Amino acid sequence: MKCPMETRESAELLLAYGTRKLDAETTALLERHIGICPACRDFAGSQQALSEALDAWEAPPVSADFDRRLYQRIEKDVSWWDLLIRPFRPMLVRQGLPMAAAACVMLMAGAFLQRPATVEPVAQTESAQLESVQPEQVEHALDAMQMLSDFSHQVRAAANESEM
Amino acid sequence: MEGAAEALDYDAELMLRVKDGDGASFGVLLDKHRSSVVHFLYRMIQNHAVAEELAQEVFLRVYRSRSTYEPTAKFTTWLFRIATHLALNSLRDGKNERLLDHLDDDTKDLPVRQVFDRRPSVEQSMVYEVKLTEIRQAIAALPEKQRAAVLMHKYEEMEYTQIAGVLSCSESAVKSLLFRAYETLRARLAHMA
Repeated sequence: MKCPMETRESAELLLAYGTRKLDAETTALLERHIGICPACRDFAGSQQALSEALDAWEAPPVSADFDRRLYQRIEKDVSWWDLLIRPFRPMLVRQGLPMAAAACVMLMAGAFLQRPATVEPVAQTESAQLESVQPEQVEHALDAMQMLSDFSHQVRAAANESEM
Repeated sequence: MEGAAEALDYDAELMLRVKDGDGASFGVLLDKHRSSVVHFLYRMIQNHAVAEELAQEVFLRVYRSRSTYEPTAKFTTWLFRIATHLALNSLRDGKNERLLDHLDDDTKDLPVRQVFDRRPSVEQSMVYEVKLTEIRQAIAALPEKQRAAVLMHKYEEMEYTQIAGVLSCSESAVKSLLFRAYETLRARLAHMA
């Protein structure tokens, strides 16, 4: 076996050996070489000792209320669309898309009323584009609300678990 | 390797379910990766409270990105890319001025070491704490990218290619980072051999 210490690229073999990442066959081959090469023996030995020293550094456990706090942050992290649709949430959840369609109509009316008096032909295209986008946004908002509902359940479950 | 590839597919599949509105799949991903993200950030920042705050930000960003998620890389590569980015920003923002000066303050959060299933003696505990402080100082003294590379390689057991994906560099650059980092650590902690 060519001495791994001859090139830095080969030295990665010794790094992997020190952290026990080599397969059995390569390990056996390297150990035979280490037996006859003082430079590699020193390197491998010091790398193994370093690896064992680093093993002593244990991280503290994650806080029990980590999940609860995360889900609370997610719930607070609402988009502007969610803020707009929130007052209509109970109706939308119960009646689904028909109410969403009604909201679309209201928004379109609002957008239409806010348009300037003189409307160029291209504005109708923008309106058509707005019309085509709105249902997808509403559907996305419904999905988001369903997920938030699921998260609410999970927050409550996590809160109960942390109390216990 | 096949098992790892299956794990890759499973995490990405879970995230695609989150994209489709399955909140429970996000919970599964959180459960699976929570500890590794927090522990990685803890060792990068060496402040438990800040590490948890950053970890929450990591998962919040994962959740926010659900609608545009595409499995172009391993899920854990993406996850740790976000974590590393936040950790490096936090270090550069100087939010962790106590990083090197007050390392001892976090030792109360550490699990009690059991030696041979017996409560360690006072002397053993003191020796352990001194050793731990030296390790933490040695890691903290590494340049940020070397530190991140070592932590991912040693504690997360990531392969070079994945670390390269996280750090957005080449595999040979990762090997170079690790070689220099371990060389520095070996020299600094040689007395522990």
